[in-house]
Amino acid sequence: MTTPFPDQVASADGPGGHLGGEVLAAYATNRLDEVAAWSVEAHVTTCSACRVALRAFVDRDRLARNRSVLLAAAAVGEPGPARRLLSRVGVPEHLLGLLAATPSLRRSWLLSVLGVLAVVAGESVLANHLWNRGSGSTWGVLVPFLLVGPLLVLGGVALAFLPLFDPSHQLAAAAPFPGVNLLLARAVSALLAALLPVAVAAFFVPGPGWLPAAMLLPCLAVWCVALAAVTVVGATAAAVVSAATWVLPVIVVAASHPALAVVRWHAQVAWAALAAAAAVVAFVRRDRFEMGWTR
Amino acid sequence: MDEMTTDVDLAVRVEGLSRRYGPVRALDDVEMGMGRGITGLLGPNGAGKTTLLSILATINQPDAGRVSVFGLDPADTAQRVEIRRRLGFLPQELGFHRHFTVAGFLDYVAILKEIVDRRRRAEEVARVLAAVGLQGMAGRRIRALSGGMRQRLGIAQALLGDPDLLLLDEPTAGLDPEQQLRFRELLSNLPGDPTIVLSTHQVDDVSAICSHVVVLLAGKVRFTGTPAELADTAAGHVWTSHQRDPHALLSWRGGDNRWRHLGERPPAGVEVTAATVDEGYLLLSHTVDNPSTTRGWRRVGRRDR
Ligand SMILES: Nc1ncnc2c1ncn2[C@@H]1O[C@H](COP(=O)(O)OP(=O)(O)OP(=O)(O)O)[C@@H](O)[C@H]1O
Ligand SMILES: [Mg+2]
Ligand SMILES: [Zn+2]
Repeated sequence: MTTPFPDQVASADGPGGHLGGEVLAAYATNRLDEVAAWSVEAHVTTCSACRVALRAFVDRDRLARNRSVLLAAAAVGEPGPARRLLSRVGVPEHLLGLLAATPSLRRSWLLSVLGVLAVVAGESVLANHLWNRGSGSTWGVLVPFLLVGPLLVLGGVALAFLPLFDPSHQLAAAAPFPGVNLLLARAVSALLAALLPVAVAAFFVPGPGWLPAAMLLPCLAVWCVALAAVTVVGATAAAVVSAATWVLPVIVVAASHPALAVVRWHAQVAWAALAAAAAVVAFVRRDRFEMGWTR
Repeated sequence: MDEMTTDVDLAVRVEGLSRRYGPVRALDDVEMGMGRGITGLLGPNGAGKTTLLSILATINQPDAGRVSVFGLDPADTAQRVEIRRRLGFLPQELGFHRHFTVAGFLDYVAILKEIVDRRRRAEEVARVLAAVGLQGMAGRRIRALSGGMRQRLGIAQALLGDPDLLLLDEPTAGLDPEQQLRFRELLSNLPGDPTIVLSTHQVDDVSAICSHVVVLLAGKVRFTGTPAELADTAAGHVWTSHQRDPHALLSWRGGDNRWRHLGERPPAGVEVTAATVDEGYLLLSHTVDNPSTTRGWRRVGRRDR
């Protein structure tokens, strides 16, 4: 990337890490690009010496106005490390700003995902331990984990979708920003936020080494089914339908085969087909994502 | 009504608009036009004000009828987006992401309004915060705001991006008297002369700042005109006397100890006085409630005694 990191511009010019006269003059006459201007402002808010120096270049009004803008910008908050990283990778900054209001990226939700996974994985480990000594069954070992993983993904999508969890959804609906993009951004981030812990937890349960990878497609399929279903039926019904597309096969398979058959090779093909079909439905019916207008 | 207003001047036009919720006709064949300036929507609870505003805000779909906003049709996807670009909307029940800071919330709404540039967003946020007098609260968590401050935050988000059409559903609910006056000042000083439609239960607001009034009763438009014209509908129906009057629909004793009455027909010999906007509105809603004229009046009159 060609844009230097803000702090470096600011400190590169002047003595002792302060802003140089040239930078200040350029800032005062609006000749700096956005990144450089921000870095000047970031420095000036914390450094009184440079604030005084800047006053020589900028008229009072502009400074007062800039100050309130600065205060507002500071109150919006500096992007955290995750957001900075994603924006360096090329994710547009404003998209990340939108995700700030995504319930499934809130700490409380992420912590509950981790909590549930820890409990389920712990149960599997424990059951496996007992089973090895001949007092348990396969049902206790992997089935709970298999059931819960994709359901957590589903929960994240539901949080991202249901107006219930977006108290200002009427504003989002009445705004020009495309509702589809907003919901997709939220749903994708919810998917990733749940997928990662599920894959990690799969390392700890007493399954085969390929289990973490094998969980990905079913999770994706359930996610796609949820997206497709919500364009056809109401949100609650969509949640039930997509949960059932995962829960029923897991139980049926576990009753007659080894529980893991539901994520083995043949099953993976079926999950991929399901994901693709659901994705097509969701894409074709994408205008139904818009709240309010389509009932 | 203002006969000079041509169709071209009307920012919002509504024809034959109906919206039902099950058996309830929230809007029933509504016909109206709104031009530049401030239009006040009056009506009792359940009259259909919120339904009308949400349809104008393009987040609710009518069962029948046509809506045109700036000549654009919200039923068309592309035109709907164009309307939204020019819209500021304060819903009646605006919820907040309570973990947000005040400025963080406004920043979020500014992104929804397609203000992509981060610096421009900060400028807009600072501007609307100053407009509603919340500049000192920028860094506060929303959950730490009082109800009236939240209401002002709701007004602030509607102002983001200098909209041409402002739809405000009960904007003064919960504001203290000073803030109500400040709100009037704010609306009078908005740049760009936007079209403003606000619903309210405070007839004060309407007489103070609205150039037009629309009265909705049970989903039907019962009056459109200026506040003065609404007051005029009660002309000859308000009188004062030294005692209670059994013929009056409503009677109340003023601070000067005289009784003021509102009713179908003043008795002979009483002093008829000029009516206020409140009285015009009240008379209108009671006439419609009780269309069976005299019997209706008496019944209401008796219950009031
Ligand atoms: N989502 C809904 N589902 C069912 N009925 C509804 C819905 N929204 C509104 N209604 C009904 O439509 C009618 C009009 O409601 P609306 O909210 O538009 O009234 P209002 O004039 O805004 O009232 P208030 O002054 O109480 O805000 C009411 O009878 C209400 O019960
Ligand atoms: Mg309402
Ligand atoms: Zn410095």
